[in-house]
Amino acid sequence: MSTGWPEPQPGWRAGWRLLWRHSVIRLAVLAGLLGAGCVAWAATPAILAGPAAGAAPLVTALAAVCVAGGAGQLAVARAAPPGPGSYPGVLGRLAAWALLRLRQLPWAEGTVLSALALELLHPARPWHTAVLGAALTGYLLATHLAESTTAPGEASAVLRGQAPVLAAGLGLLVLAAGSAALPAAGSGAAGAWLRAAAAVAAVLACGLALPV
Amino acid sequence: MPDPFPVPGDPAPGSSPGEPGRWLAAAAANRPLSWNLTRHARRLVTLALAGLGIAIATGRPEFAAAAAPAVLLLATWHRPRPGQIGLAARLTAARMIEGERSAVELSVSGAAEHSVQVVLQPAHAITPLPGPAARPGRPAISVPFLATRWGRRRVGSAQVILRDRWRLAEGSTGLSLPRVDCYPRPATQRTRVVLSRLPTRLGEHTARAAGEGAEFGGVREYVPGDRQRSINWPATTRRGRLQVNTFQAERSQDVVILVDTAWENADPTRSVVDIGLRGAAAAAQAYLNARDRVGFITYRYRARWLVPGLGQRQYYRIAEAMLAQDRDWTSDTGFSRLPRVALPPGALILVFTPLMDPRLVETLRDLRQRGFPVLVIDVLAGEPPVGRGRYARLAQRMWRMEQQAIRFSLRELGIPVTHWDGEQSLDLSLAPYTRRVMVTRR
Repeated sequence: MSTGWPEPQPGWRAGWRLLWRHSVIRLAVLAGLLGAGCVAWAATPAILAGPAAGAAPLVTALAAVCVAGGAGQLAVARAAPPGPGSYPGVLGRLAAWALLRLRQLPWAEGTVLSALALELLHPARPWHTAVLGAALTGYLLATHLAESTTAPGEASAVLRGQAPVLAAGLGLLVLAAGSAALPAAGSGAAGAWLRAAAAVAAVLACGLALPV
Repeated sequence: MPDPFPVPGDPAPGSSPGEPGRWLAAAAANRPLSWNLTRHARRLVTLALAGLGIAIATGRPEFAAAAAPAVLLLATWHRPRPGQIGLAARLTAARMIEGERSAVELSVSGAAEHSVQVVLQPAHAITPLPGPAARPGRPAISVPFLATRWGRRRVGSAQVILRDRWRLAEGSTGLSLPRVDCYPRPATQRTRVVLSRLPTRLGEHTARAAGEGAEFGGVREYVPGDRQRSINWPATTRRGRLQVNTFQAERSQDVVILVDTAWENADPTRSVVDIGLRGAAAAAQAYLNARDRVGFITYRYRARWLVPGLGQRQYYRIAEAMLAQDRDWTSDTGFSRLPRVALPPGALILVFTPLMDPRLVETLRDLRQRGFPVLVIDVLAGEPPVGRGRYARLAQRMWRMEQQAIRFSLRELGIPVTHWDGEQSLDLSLAPYTRRVMVTRR
């Protein structure tokens, strides 16, 4: 029975299925979603604050641009520039130049800094920041794997190799966030700064003592 | 195989693999590595520094927590890394035909546990193809590529990138890849133009004279000395006297292929030199398969030639000559009369030319006057672009009329001209001349 909607062509569906089988495409999609999720997660409390949000809409827009740029960077990562002996026209040369710029700009770094700036704009909630930190780490890993993976199964092999350090990092993240959520030992700005310095020292000490 | 067209300064064949010889098909070297932070490491540094900095500046320890995974990943930076690696590259096929695939087999030694990625930086007319990925512990990495245009050229260079297990540092180095000889892809030609007068040399073309060939010639009365097996018994029964079958002789011919490479189309996608060389390769293959002697002449302000020869070796000599024709040419206006040594008496001369050079047209007239049967295959593709000026259309019409006049004058001299666009089979263009023998008149 016809539903009234045009039936998708089998070739079209098969093409999408074939594309999805490429781990690089899956990783690129995952990186884009994680980037967008990080920005949304960090921006939501600030945006919901209404007129008191201040610069939050501007930073959100900047972060969204960075996520889109990063997604575009991953999308064109495999596009080959015109090689020697090619004779592209003016538009072709312009497109090649734009591709080169798109690949070189630090979109992922922009996304990270924008998300952290958004997180800074609203009141302290340690669990919220910890989730953002974990998501940003995942975003960076997915971006890296999407742009450097050349064979199926390579991404999972890389992640398997890094699993102990990632697990240690996440454990440290939970511990540090938990310590930040504890009631303050002292009151005032000096006490808060002391806690932050202690957390930074603990993270750095763990990093230096890592037996890898 | 000796170089048919030796060029001064070109090392002799058989030179050692270390020096830049013509037949260099392998390269090996120890290369120093330059190590840098990966983009991934730079991003992790950004997250770590930003998180820790915000934590210190604002007194919010949860930002230090957000930076913790990045800091721990960066802590794996201190690892031993090789200062240099050994690279050896060789081609799976150093000689190929346009459109064929080959691959660079790259061996990497001294990479330890680092993953190896090879990026081919292709030269002109070399297209890299997706190949199997490098796996740690595999001795060689294969990088396939496609040669899209004929010529003798280097494949390009290979950029070898080593990455550590944590993807924080990458070391890269490069290696210049060996040279490949890519021959023009022959067009399709199965039929052959055969002359009416053939030299008395055993071959595969049916001659008019009676002989010992396989082609039936007729029936005549038996004379003493005829072979008994050639008696035609049905005819003998009908006529009451012994009749024998006669056969036609099978001869070979001499063919000289002349390719005009002096003119080139402005549009690189419709090169008349490419069309001419592909047609010449097809003709050479077709006539050599029929055991004819084939010679080859290239014309580019001056002539270079190969004397006619037989067999597969001659085909490769012709192919080498085609590759040699694109280097170190000097402007020499001395070309007007082709030397006798390049033209055996009575040879069929096939000319692949766009008929743009008046000196070549004069040479064709001279050849005809010397009694050689000449067949011109016109490979002109396209017309000059029409300008915007007031007289542009007029100039285009004049150009067309001039081209028609050249072709008409050649036909008047008894030189047939047939057009071939390089796309379709050469048999179609040559069909009027391959259906029957080409009568040669002085």
